[in-house]
Amino acid sequence: MSVPPRSSAGAVARISLTYLALVALGALFSVPVAWMLSSSLHELAAVFAQPYRWLPSPLHWENYVRAVTLLPVGRFLVNTIVITVPVMAATLVSSALVAYGFARFRFPGRDALFALCLATMMLPGQVTMIPLYLLFARLGWVDTYLPLIVPSLFGSPFYIFLLRQFFLTIPGDSEEAALIDGASRLRIWWSVVLPQARPAVATVLIFTFIGTWNDFFGPLLYLNSPEKATLTLGLNLMKTQVLGSGVVEWNVLMAASLLVLLPNVVLFFVAQRQFIRGISMGAGK
Amino acid sequence: MILLTFLIAGCGRPAADDRTIVYNCAASTADIASLQRDARELKARTGIDLKLNPFSGEEKLYAMIAAGQAPDVFYTNGAVRDRLAAEGRVLDLRPLAEHDPFFARLRPEVRTAAPSLDGGIYSVSNWTLTCGVYYNRAAFAAAGLPPPRPDWTWDEFVAAARRLTVPGREAGRPQQYGVFIPAHFVEVLEQMNHAPIPRDALFLQLPPESQEVYAAYLGLIHDGLMPDIRRVQAMGMQASQMLQSGRVAMLVEAVPHAGLIETLTIDWGVAPMPRFGTKEPRYFRSASGGLSISAATRRPADAWRTLTWLVGEAATYQPNPVLADVDFAGAWEAKYPRLRGTGFREVWNLSEQHAGGDPRFFVRFASWSMAPVMSRLQPWLDRLWAGDATLDQVVAAVPEINAGVRQDLERLAKSSGLKPAWKAALERALAAAPKP
Amino acid sequence: MKAEARQGWLFVSPWVIGFVLLTAGPMLYSLYLSFTSASLLSVPQWIGGENYRRMASDPLFYRSLANTAVYAGMGVPTGLLLALGLALLLNAPVRGIGFFRALFFLPSVTNTVALSLLWLWLLNPEFGLLNTALRAVGIEGPLWLQSEAWAKPALVLMSLWTVGGQAVIFLAALQGVPRELGEAAAIDGAGAVRRFFAVTLPMISPALLFNLIMGLVGALQVFTQAFVMTGGVQPGSEGGPNQATLFIVLYIYKKAFQEFDMGYASALAWALFVLIVGCSALAFRLARERVHYEGGQP
Repeated sequence: MSVPPRSSAGAVARISLTYLALVALGALFSVPVAWMLSSSLHELAAVFAQPYRWLPSPLHWENYVRAVTLLPVGRFLVNTIVITVPVMAATLVSSALVAYGFARFRFPGRDALFALCLATMMLPGQVTMIPLYLLFARLGWVDTYLPLIVPSLFGSPFYIFLLRQFFLTIPGDSEEAALIDGASRLRIWWSVVLPQARPAVATVLIFTFIGTWNDFFGPLLYLNSPEKATLTLGLNLMKTQVLGSGVVEWNVLMAASLLVLLPNVVLFFVAQRQFIRGISMGAGK
Repeated sequence: MILLTFLIAGCGRPAADDRTIVYNCAASTADIASLQRDARELKARTGIDLKLNPFSGEEKLYAMIAAGQAPDVFYTNGAVRDRLAAEGRVLDLRPLAEHDPFFARLRPEVRTAAPSLDGGIYSVSNWTLTCGVYYNRAAFAAAGLPPPRPDWTWDEFVAAARRLTVPGREAGRPQQYGVFIPAHFVEVLEQMNHAPIPRDALFLQLPPESQEVYAAYLGLIHDGLMPDIRRVQAMGMQASQMLQSGRVAMLVEAVPHAGLIETLTIDWGVAPMPRFGTKEPRYFRSASGGLSISAATRRPADAWRTLTWLVGEAATYQPNPVLADVDFAGAWEAKYPRLRGTGFREVWNLSEQHAGGDPRFFVRFASWSMAPVMSRLQPWLDRLWAGDATLDQVVAAVPEINAGVRQDLERLAKSSGLKPAWKAALERALAAAPKP
Repeated sequence: MKAEARQGWLFVSPWVIGFVLLTAGPMLYSLYLSFTSASLLSVPQWIGGENYRRMASDPLFYRSLANTAVYAGMGVPTGLLLALGLALLLNAPVRGIGFFRALFFLPSVTNTVALSLLWLWLLNPEFGLLNTALRAVGIEGPLWLQSEAWAKPALVLMSLWTVGGQAVIFLAALQGVPRELGEAAAIDGAGAVRRFFAVTLPMISPALLFNLIMGLVGALQVFTQAFVMTGGVQPGSEGGPNQATLFIVLYIYKKAFQEFDMGYASALAWALFVLIVGCSALAFRLARERVHYEGGQP
């Protein structure tokens, strides 16, 4: 869509058409969320009413109160943060170390190793799920956060790939200079390379945040005690609770779902630019 | 930060000398709050610390057991109980129950339903129920119908459903359906029609009496008197919401049913299940599962005390219909005053007159074969409801289904985890069953 | 040279250790389990190739394979097309485009459980938005998740809503296409469509391959939606009407964690692994001549 405008009339038509398409598709894409918002503020009977009224009046904010009081949502939030923050830190540090190793060092077997690393991206988690479960059970780690956090200490192939691609685009001059000044490789990695890789670092952090925040299967498998549950698990629990109690309170479920989504939405709006830049370094090349 | 997390994750393990009993309860939020109040009473009386673990789901339970973190007391249905018992994962309660006056308080059929294949008692039923026809009184009045007679027949029931069906604006989609019968209650109708299915049948049987019931059931849908089951399942509405919102005028559901009683604000009554022609009715009372104790519990006595307290004393679950020494109907009416005059007492008393009923409700197959049968039967039922298969085709598929079930059971009989007594019992049952 | 190699190994060692402990080890153990009759609770017992023989004659295995293939076959191409179209639109140099990018990307950062709940409600045949809208134009919509024919299309529809992630990758690639190339082609008199196929598409072919592989891997592993949205009251009802949404991963999960048939579940998981590697290899091979890498291989 990088065509120079031939005439101003054509340009106006083109831009109007683009807007038209954007607004139409945008409306289509936002209808589900709008509906979620609308039904989360209705009373239950209005949710089932036909025809559906889009604007609830009065606004039933108590659905949100019920959503956060039905289950210990505060506790779930803290748990989710307690898992997410270390995972973000550990994933970034370990993946960046490994990526630097693949990007800057020559050693026998490097390329084969890198290919193997990429291949594990295609590994379905279900192949290793059962043995890993048995392993963690034997270590006594079930119902702790360890099975959810410890694996992030060993780097993640997708982020290793993303960061390596980014590191390759950074010119090596400043590293050479630092090396001559007697700095260690680890120090160079930390104080020279990482600061230059900020967009990729941001991408990894955001991706890890989203992935961990939304993870359903890991917590489902490894956490037993309700007081250790994460938000996603809590939401699923709420689904079974609400479904099991004689009445399906769709308005409360929608309110709870929206609350769980909120951090992702805020994060994305704040970090959008970094995010797209970071992706463009890895996936497109 | 990581170390901190490890610390947080590591704490909360019970010390060796405490008296914590973990109870895995499949309870609603309100029940949990109520149980927590009860638990303080338990602590005061016995010194036992009850820890509620409101996660349900069998996969979770198995994972906890495999990880050596089994809850002390947990709910099991017949199939799960026997599988766990066969692998030695739940306690045989006989030594604990033998001299406990609590066990004598249980209704006879709860006690006789308790022993498993090898004679052990691996769970105690924590609830029991019958079922009835809940109906909207205003809808009956509007249709000019008198309330159902206690001894009404299936034909009268269908005639009432026809009168109660109110056509909608669009053809084929009534504004109010006459009746809704959830699919799992078809078994109750089969019993009312005297389908001769032995209690411990390992394999699927669809005798003519069952086929009649299925045909009648499909007829209700076909005649537009009952909503398409699939539509109801997809609607995300509980059955009580259907009755409450006026989408159906009659509903077959469990009696007692706290959730239903608490949600209905319409003027409703409940009638006994209709009988088939002149056949003697077989009202039933049934428990679909019970509480078990983990074989790995460190305090069997405390766990047993907790179990008996949950069933017989905890206010949350009282009055409990499994107890023989309680006037259940009266006590339940005292708990829910609006039940008076609804017909609840009459329906419940009818189930008591038919002593014991049949405990196969929801589980018409021996616990061994429930999963293998249902996983093969359900797709056929799905097709039957969708009109993609006829009843004759389902009946014709029975031998094929049973051949698969036999394969599964023979594999199970060979597997290494089973205790010898169970293995022998299963092999005996398999040998006794008719070959395809 | 020796020192560099040592340092290199040191840097990549976290991944190597993780691979051995958390990937290779468990993979080998799972391969071993697939030749045993392990239950979650009992000791594994060697039974040779029995699980694989059983798989070969297990109708539910074939059913789950077919379901997964149909889902991938419907979802991956439509997803790619929609994502590419969106990316072309979002690459337009107009004011406020950042807002639209965020809008389209938003669904793909949502939580799968929340997403499933929302769509369960959207697809409700009686009260759902979709059928309400269809009714407004005089069409009585299908039963969606409760209909054998429509359950998979319903899940595909839902997956299309989260196509923003792929679109962003296309967008990033499109932004890497030098403007001069398009202009040169325009001066040559090439039409917009020809320009797209002759210039743009080859330039973004690495992104296309990436999205294709990731889309395939994701579709072959579809689980959470089916797990959250098609569970039922009766045993055997997970997997949707007449097993229409019994995908391979859901089947593995049921075998492993509901029926405790760990050995068989491991064999199924290995079959899935072989399938994914095979599909990816095929995609790579087909793409080899067609994908254009700037400055050679990465």
